[in-house]
Amino acid sequence: MAVAKKRGARSNGKGAGKRRARTSRSKRRVDPVEAEIVRGAMETVCYEMATHVSLTATTPILNQSNERNATILDGRGALAALSVGIPQFMLSSTLPVRFALDFFGADGLHDGDVLVGNDPYHGGGHLPDYNIFAPVFAGDELVLIASIQCHHADTGGGMPGGYNVDAADIWAEGVRFPALKIFDRGVEREDVTYFMRVNNRTPTFVGDLRSQVGAAQLGVERLKEVIERHGVDTVRGAAEYMIDYAARRFREEVATWPDGTYESDVYVDHDPKGNEDIHIHCAVTVDGDRLKVDFTGSDDRDNLQAYSTFGNTRGYVVAQIASMMDPSIPKNEGFFDSIDLVVPEGCCLNPPPNKSVAAGTHHPGTEVGEAIAIALAQVIPQRCCPQIYKMGMPTVIFGTHPDTGEMFIDHSVDTFGAYCGAVYGQDGWGAMNVSFGNLIRATGEINESIFPVRHMSRDYATDSGGPGKWRGCPGTQYEKQILAPSQIYTFVVGRKYPMPGIAGGMDGAPNKLSLRTGSVEEHEIETTAFYVDHQPGEGYAYRYGGGGGWGDPTERDPQAVLDDVLDEYVSIEAAERDYGVVLTGTLEELDLAVDVEATAQRRATIRSERGRDA
Amino acid sequence: MRKAGAAAARRVAAGEGMYRIGIDVGGTFTDLVLARPNGSVILEKSPTTPTDQSIGVVRGIERLAAREGLDARALLRTTQSIVHGTTTADNAMIEMSGAVTGLITTRGHRDEIELRRGFKENIWDPALPPPPPIAQRRRRIGVTERLDFRGNVVIPLDEDDVRRALHRLAKQGVESLAVVFMFSFINPAHERRVREIAAEEAPEMAVSLSHEVMPSAPEFERTSTTLVNAFVGPRIDRYLSRLVERLREAGFRRELLVMQSNGGIMTPDYIRKRPVTVLASGPTGGVIAACAVADKAKRRDFVCADMGGTSYDICLIRDGRPEIKSGWNWHHRYVIGLPMVDIHSIGAGGGSIASVVAGALHVGPRSAGAEPGPICYGRGGSEVTVTDANAFLGFLNPDDFCSGTMTLDVAAVREAMRDQIAQPLKLGVAEAAYGIYRLVNANMANAIRRVAAERGTDPRSLTLVAYGGNGPVHATAQAAELGIGEVLVPKTAPTFSALGLQLSDHIVDEVRAYIAPSNEIEVARANRLFGEMTRAAERVLKKRKGQHREVRHQRIMHLCYPGQTFDMPVAVAGDGKLGKAELAATIERFHQQHEELHTYSSREEIPVLRSLRVTSVGITEKPALPTIGRSSKHPTRKGKRRAYFDGKWLETPVYDGSLLKVGHKVRGPAIVEEPFTTIVLHRGQSASLDRHGNYRIAVGRPRGR
Repeated sequence: MAVAKKRGARSNGKGAGKRRARTSRSKRRVDPVEAEIVRGAMETVCYEMATHVSLTATTPILNQSNERNATILDGRGALAALSVGIPQFMLSSTLPVRFALDFFGADGLHDGDVLVGNDPYHGGGHLPDYNIFAPVFAGDELVLIASIQCHHADTGGGMPGGYNVDAADIWAEGVRFPALKIFDRGVEREDVTYFMRVNNRTPTFVGDLRSQVGAAQLGVERLKEVIERHGVDTVRGAAEYMIDYAARRFREEVATWPDGTYESDVYVDHDPKGNEDIHIHCAVTVDGDRLKVDFTGSDDRDNLQAYSTFGNTRGYVVAQIASMMDPSIPKNEGFFDSIDLVVPEGCCLNPPPNKSVAAGTHHPGTEVGEAIAIALAQVIPQRCCPQIYKMGMPTVIFGTHPDTGEMFIDHSVDTFGAYCGAVYGQDGWGAMNVSFGNLIRATGEINESIFPVRHMSRDYATDSGGPGKWRGCPGTQYEKQILAPSQIYTFVVGRKYPMPGIAGGMDGAPNKLSLRTGSVEEHEIETTAFYVDHQPGEGYAYRYGGGGGWGDPTERDPQAVLDDVLDEYVSIEAAERDYGVVLTGTLEELDLAVDVEATAQRRATIRSERGRDA
Repeated sequence: MRKAGAAAARRVAAGEGMYRIGIDVGGTFTDLVLARPNGSVILEKSPTTPTDQSIGVVRGIERLAAREGLDARALLRTTQSIVHGTTTADNAMIEMSGAVTGLITTRGHRDEIELRRGFKENIWDPALPPPPPIAQRRRRIGVTERLDFRGNVVIPLDEDDVRRALHRLAKQGVESLAVVFMFSFINPAHERRVREIAAEEAPEMAVSLSHEVMPSAPEFERTSTTLVNAFVGPRIDRYLSRLVERLREAGFRRELLVMQSNGGIMTPDYIRKRPVTVLASGPTGGVIAACAVADKAKRRDFVCADMGGTSYDICLIRDGRPEIKSGWNWHHRYVIGLPMVDIHSIGAGGGSIASVVAGALHVGPRSAGAEPGPICYGRGGSEVTVTDANAFLGFLNPDDFCSGTMTLDVAAVREAMRDQIAQPLKLGVAEAAYGIYRLVNANMANAIRRVAAERGTDPRSLTLVAYGGNGPVHATAQAAELGIGEVLVPKTAPTFSALGLQLSDHIVDEVRAYIAPSNEIEVARANRLFGEMTRAAERVLKKRKGQHREVRHQRIMHLCYPGQTFDMPVAVAGDGKLGKAELAATIERFHQQHEELHTYSSREEIPVLRSLRVTSVGITEKPALPTIGRSSKHPTRKGKRRAYFDGKWLETPVYDGSLLKVGHKVRGPAIVEEPFTTIVLHRGQSASLDRHGNYRIAVGRPRGR
């Protein structure tokens, strides 16, 4: 185990951090007001960088769906500030920068440099996530690093689109960039951009890359202004202050959690090759104000097609823990460093070298959050709701558009509700968990004018939200008709292991995807669908899984259950079966009422039955 | 009518020799502006009457009349028009007290309003509550019908389904119905049919059809907009009827006009058809006024900032016009997909509460509001606010606040400042108060940076126009923080929104959906739709004949590249009929505009047309803004007051703004007191007045870290 921990520590770049720390501690104490002002300025620079990408990128996933994350690191590669984005992804963007700092060394980076990195085995998440970053110097001193990470539509490799879930190894997935200078002292290296261009299928790739480079350069410019306005020492002192502040707030929260070690076991249905029950074992130890998260014992079968890299795993760990604390605690290195993370090399959460990670980035990546939530639900259930998803991968439809004669690819990033769990005090609501809050999804009225498809339904499916004292949000019954000969490529999980209930809450309904609906060939997908032909008029029906419930459903306010029945989130039958609420009257006549006496009896019966089962 | 009479009538219609009144109802005060026949303007404030705003409006008119030595009836008899800004719709949304609302949708699209395209406002807080529902799910019903994106009927409307849905909604007491069908903006037949059936089955129900409220894609935005329209509609209707009635009783026989969020004014009859257009129109008047005063000062690119008691509203103005946004406008947690003046708001005002959380200072967004208000108001407030910090620092005059109507209890602030802020931060009391001042300035400066960034603009190239009661206290320090060189503070700043109402034009926005790749646009069809919209606008504006110097129609195409979600408005090239050449020029304009905003264009792609719009502006005669006299003498000080600048207490000169003339120059550190606001000048800054009554403040080097 000592070996495992060492691996974690090395990937974490802590050694490097300590070496630099000596040269860059600030010389003066910064007062809290100054620190707060500098923090606001840095977050604004992050926002400006992200906005620059929104304005200048050419692909919708960047300019409209917001899958871009801006961060500012200090000279040691410690995260100082971040802006809007998607938590799991923005939190995995620091390690590639630290690798570059180590690789180039103290004298290897210069004013005007801009670097790119995307390699999962050098700190990254998966290959389509390109990190572009640039050092900010004051004189010849490295003070800050501006970094912007974006998801690209292609990354070379064996399969278009960056989701080669069947890849034999990492090289089959795409081109790897551990750390490469695109700009050297302010001059673009055209050999590098040309090399990148020819290794990518999408014509928009270089344009989007430029947009990112522009954002990083804008970040550098703005940060230099911040340094000029406040002085190097104040800026550095403020970054340290905020990191210390986050660490202190983190420890204060942990100190309120009961001491002990809490374990959980969660599973992914299977990997794309059909290996079943990918296992995550998680042990969370609370010791005073210290928190340790240990994944020792997780799946280490050697033939898996389900690997989340260390950087990816760490991002999901931080995102989940962040969701369980006061939202006002800054998410920076002070937060990260406070988690003692142990991930043994060779398991599915810290793979042996060069394994494929296309599928594993999401599964078992996302289940990391589930494992932590389930483990800690034993002691602080009111903080626990897995901020995750059970998507497998997007349902990709491609074919020839009859109007244009050109190939179309519909990634089905449509609007639908799924996987959104209840938390203590609040029913699940909306479409997704808040951790996807900035990701804007496609609509029927726009996509039907682009793709030969028809969005027939996305209504919530009654009874698909996990019952609980607070109810999980239902998943939607998604139905899409396909109007031209097409093929579908996808990977499905969450059938056997749906979104879990917490603290006595029940699980959400599982996923259920049927292809070729409307034909005699209609069938449900169990693992993957690779290139399944569809004729015009056929379609797919995806009953997306619901969120898990929170707390014992027999403790739900009967009036709330009645409201749920009136709103058809819950059926009359499920009200009685799951919640123990007996109603009189009918939905048709809108004269439903709670039968108080029958409800009391029914609830008593359910509790005694469940007590017996337990 | 006899000829001489006709001439007189024309003069009356044109408003010659008559008064005009602007009334802006805010949360605490109803601001009034009276434009006299000679073009001069007087300002008045009157308490708002929240339960029925029209009572406060009439009281305010009585006050104005008294200032003129008239009774209200005499004033109203010689008043040509009353222009009104109301928060009735916003209040209905804040209190969720609109009509009992139902929704009929295409089957399968019942839950758009809950799904919200996946959007949630806070990515870190899993306990974030949902927006309060306008129509609970039980009052949202899908019916069988479907059109394709060209408007062809794929599934016919099942009328029995509609009748069943109406009965079910009626049974639940629904007063107002929203109808949203997929692609109804291409082919409205099904939605129209629902209105006909509703007239038979539920004649009492108000009906909002989505293709009339917002005739464009996509479905979530249209559903949200239509639901809000249905929800606030009946209340707006009642309010306007009551107001018209009250004004009529008080002797007013002419025209009431209401401010819309697109920056234009229209009649109650017009507003009733699309009541959602008055939502969030409150701060719009201020923006219009800012444009007018900045225009007099020959400033075309600026950012205007309105700091009141609870919020700080920013709008970017380029080439003299406010930015108009028509897609992703979030208000009260609902999207309004109609053209609106793009005002960005953060929770920072005089009443914003300062607190120390785990050793870090926070200011806002929580506000003490008007009640209990800041500690120094002495109305029971106990938490330190921005105004308390300003009073403590000596920026505000404790003995003569709000035009002498209030005094401030600065002594009461000290203890709270020490206990709540200074001690937890281990700072001195003055340092703590100055920390609040600096932090709120930094927050506001960051908000301006973000707004500028969204438009690819560098704030340093802009002028800052500051108004609202608290704006000028902070604007100078914010400008320094932002590297902005000049601040403009109009003397009329405190009642700016009411003034803006006087300066607004009539605006009618008409939209028609027309989806086609740009190489397949039929100019004949586009011309027909433009003609239809122009005529519709003229019908509405014609009733105002005689008041307009001219009517301008701006034709707009909403274009995007294939695959983009958000489209961009592009002004159609040429003035006459659209021909092939004008179309090509318009498409070229789109590429150029795209390049300006997004740094690139892709001319190899064929842009897609989403919709056509005509914005028709009936340009009104504006009152002349007041001018002030000149003096070559030095300005006389009103006195001195201890105030805190950059870590030191200074005996700071204080000037009475009402005595300052053109030619005077005040150098900082100094304080200038106007009846309803205060200007704080830091070291290195100087202020002078132009003849239009604008303070022009030269900011100098960035300072005030």
